[in-house]
Amino acid sequence: MNLPARLKLFNTPLILVAGILVIALLTQLFGISLLTRIVTVMFISLILVLGLQLYMGNSGILNFAHIGFMGIGAYTSVLFSMTSKAKLLTNSDLYPFLVPLHLSFLPSLLIGGLMAAFLAAVTSYPLMRLSDAAAVITTFALLVIIHVVLLHGDRITNGPRTLFGVDFYTTLWTSTVFAVITIFAVYLFKESRIGLRLRASRDDRYAAASIGINMVLMRWLAFVVSAFIAGVGGGLWAHFITSFTPYSFYLTETFVILAMLVIGGPYSVSGAVVGTLVVTAAREVLRAIENYVNILNVFPEGFFGFTEVVLAIVLILILVYRPAGIMGGRELTWLRERPKTRESEAFKNSGKA
Amino acid sequence: MINLEFIVNMLSLGSLYAMLALGLVIVYGILRLVNFAYGELIMVGGYTMYLLAGFTPLPWFVIAIVAVLAAMFTSFFTELVAFRPVREKSLTAMLITSFAVSTLLQNGALLIISPRARAVTLPQLFQTSVMIADTSVPWRNILTIVTSVLTLALLSLLLRRTVLGIALRAAADNFTMTRMLGVPANTIISTAFAISGIMAGIVSIFFISRSASVTPTIGAPPLLVAFVATVIGGMSSLTGAVVGGFVYAIIISLLGVFLPPGLLEFREAFMFAIVIIILLFRPEGLIRSKNTGERVG
Amino acid sequence: MLELQEVHARYGTITALRGISIQVSRGELVALLGVNGAGKSTTLGCIAGVLRPWQGSITFEGVPLVGKSPEQIARLGVSLVPEGRDIFPSLTVEENLRLGSFIQKEKSAYKRNLDEAFDLFPVLKQRLQQAGGTLSGGEQQQLAIARALMSNPRLLMLDEPSLGLAPVLVDQIFELIARLHQRGVTILLVEQNVERSLEIVDRAYLMNTGLIESQGTAQQLRTQADIASVYMGIKQQDKK
Repeated sequence: MNLPARLKLFNTPLILVAGILVIALLTQLFGISLLTRIVTVMFISLILVLGLQLYMGNSGILNFAHIGFMGIGAYTSVLFSMTSKAKLLTNSDLYPFLVPLHLSFLPSLLIGGLMAAFLAAVTSYPLMRLSDAAAVITTFALLVIIHVVLLHGDRITNGPRTLFGVDFYTTLWTSTVFAVITIFAVYLFKESRIGLRLRASRDDRYAAASIGINMVLMRWLAFVVSAFIAGVGGGLWAHFITSFTPYSFYLTETFVILAMLVIGGPYSVSGAVVGTLVVTAAREVLRAIENYVNILNVFPEGFFGFTEVVLAIVLILILVYRPAGIMGGRELTWLRERPKTRESEAFKNSGKA
Repeated sequence: MINLEFIVNMLSLGSLYAMLALGLVIVYGILRLVNFAYGELIMVGGYTMYLLAGFTPLPWFVIAIVAVLAAMFTSFFTELVAFRPVREKSLTAMLITSFAVSTLLQNGALLIISPRARAVTLPQLFQTSVMIADTSVPWRNILTIVTSVLTLALLSLLLRRTVLGIALRAAADNFTMTRMLGVPANTIISTAFAISGIMAGIVSIFFISRSASVTPTIGAPPLLVAFVATVIGGMSSLTGAVVGGFVYAIIISLLGVFLPPGLLEFREAFMFAIVIIILLFRPEGLIRSKNTGERVG
Repeated sequence: MLELQEVHARYGTITALRGISIQVSRGELVALLGVNGAGKSTTLGCIAGVLRPWQGSITFEGVPLVGKSPEQIARLGVSLVPEGRDIFPSLTVEENLRLGSFIQKEKSAYKRNLDEAFDLFPVLKQRLQQAGGTLSGGEQQQLAIARALMSNPRLLMLDEPSLGLAPVLVDQIFELIARLHQRGVTILLVEQNVERSLEIVDRAYLMNTGLIESQGTAQQLRTQADIASVYMGIKQQDKK
């Protein structure tokens, strides 16, 4: 490929990355710690949304287990990154063989991702052959099971109690760098042969099968890579928040990540980015309102859940009026507008009359 | 450990899960929609019981009926407002919508009532037992079994003897053809959702009776049971749902007996592993049906 | 009675109909002929409301059909027996027929139509309580047609009723269609079996890749048509 063509290929990710970097720079310049926190978390969320986009956007199947793998990555990475002393301090019941394990931050992160990927690989292969509805159901079941295991695996995870004492490693720029890498990775996957084949088999599985595409294998690969990304994202998040419980990796987070992807548009990488930005902004506003009302003490039991209720309503509205999300299947590009992908059309009108 | 008490408990659980799975499948069979908001219908039933039992002098029988009606109306209403507009778009859109509705209802309860658990005052009957053949059998279990037998019988009657019921079964076979015979799509779908709500409502009565409390997230565990039971039984056969419910109850009860105490908490994880194994060999579920949805590999 | 004008229809990005105009008058037996992919089933689908044409008009007894739902169109008296029969496999024969008369409001009409159905298709009476899915192909076809007749349709549309049936059954089906025509039922027949169709129909349209290639009375088409070329889908030669 000659240089201009190569640049064209990277057109979209470069734009997205540029946007990310601008946000990071501005955040750094403003120097407000609250803003820095919000943006750091936003970039971590972005990584998770991108991971989900990689699977959902290309295979067309909902994956509810994604946040579960985030949790696995989180717990695994801290088991390696914390010192023995710190580990025993938070969980005196820890399995002895886990105590001496110690690696620096990046390898810990990597192992977290690999663990998530490994578990995804093992549990998901039988599920890839299921019909779409059964596949969705079983990913949901997988989420719940992971949650149950994390909740009861006291000797590893400290159970429902808070696991604290994690070192803080995820700075603004750490999350920025990882977000940038993920954008490229997900985009490259989309444009790679695997991505192409996966989308082909999603559009017409019989035609794809007839030219030798193994849909089950493609789906499985995407699922595993997606889980890896989720695991790394989990590790990043763990080393930002420095203390957490299994409840951080369950339904609410699943909903938020899903909302970010769907509102932004699940069929393009740009959709994932746009969705994350928009929803994060909206959530902060809503949360401010929630806090304000709580201060006013209007509701005796506290004013909770408002953010999620509004977000859910917005999500439903998007699905009714603009089902392919804000980006509608398109990628951001400086070039002449790419034609709308067939996915977005199909997504809109696949119901019969 | 496996005695009459255990068997009655298992049967009671099985009949509960059978109704649970039925409520899910009746919508899936026609629309191919996995309704994530189904669990929240149980939550609605629970909160109705909490509000009525705690703040009104109504007799429990009435409260139970109102709870069932509340679940039915919620189901009906969510279809009308959230699912109908998205129906024509795509299945994935409907699925995500159901998840959004689920979140909406859960957080709605959080917002309106409280994030904390609320105790539900249960009738005396649910706490007493009766002696049968030298074993103490809780009334609760007997009631569950009797209610579910009655419900299944009524449902069966509806589906086999009424035109509406025949139309519902036809719609599960071939929705488009049913419409081409002049059957209004909206009527069919609303009816299916209403029945789904009734099932959830009935289940909620007995489900809440086990824990005597209700929280916004109480719908998640039964939803999971419904999902797994449905997948085991084969996704779109009503018989399959019933079978799946009983199979789930049997397996989880046996796991409760045979798992060593340390692993007991991981019952669900083992259940899931077993389900995966079942699916490995029978991706279409245990009950063969014509319309199990396209198998992929 | 039925009129299509310049109907265009698409499946996604594939154009199926490129401007179809057809008329069917009351009591007529009209055929849509052509090879696979010509657009015959698509045409019926548009009329029945299953597919929405993006251009053109369809009227039935003066009532526009485009945009109406399938159930609304069925209530106007249009009945379609789809390709592949689409009987309800988990319902019994009786239940299939019962549903067929769903729009029939009169109670007495149900009994009457049922008896007529048994008259035309005695085998259905024998298999009344059997599940539809256990019937043979030919029996299912009879059930599908009987079910469609249960509503006393004003327009009966049949999509490839002889498809996949053994020759002796094919004879029976065509005989049946002719008999229904004699009774005065208006029928729009889609078929690949050109020869047999032309024996029983009043008029026919020859379709090819979404267009009407030629039309006329059965007589005209029989003398004009080069049957082989229709089967091959080759455009006809002009005859002097």
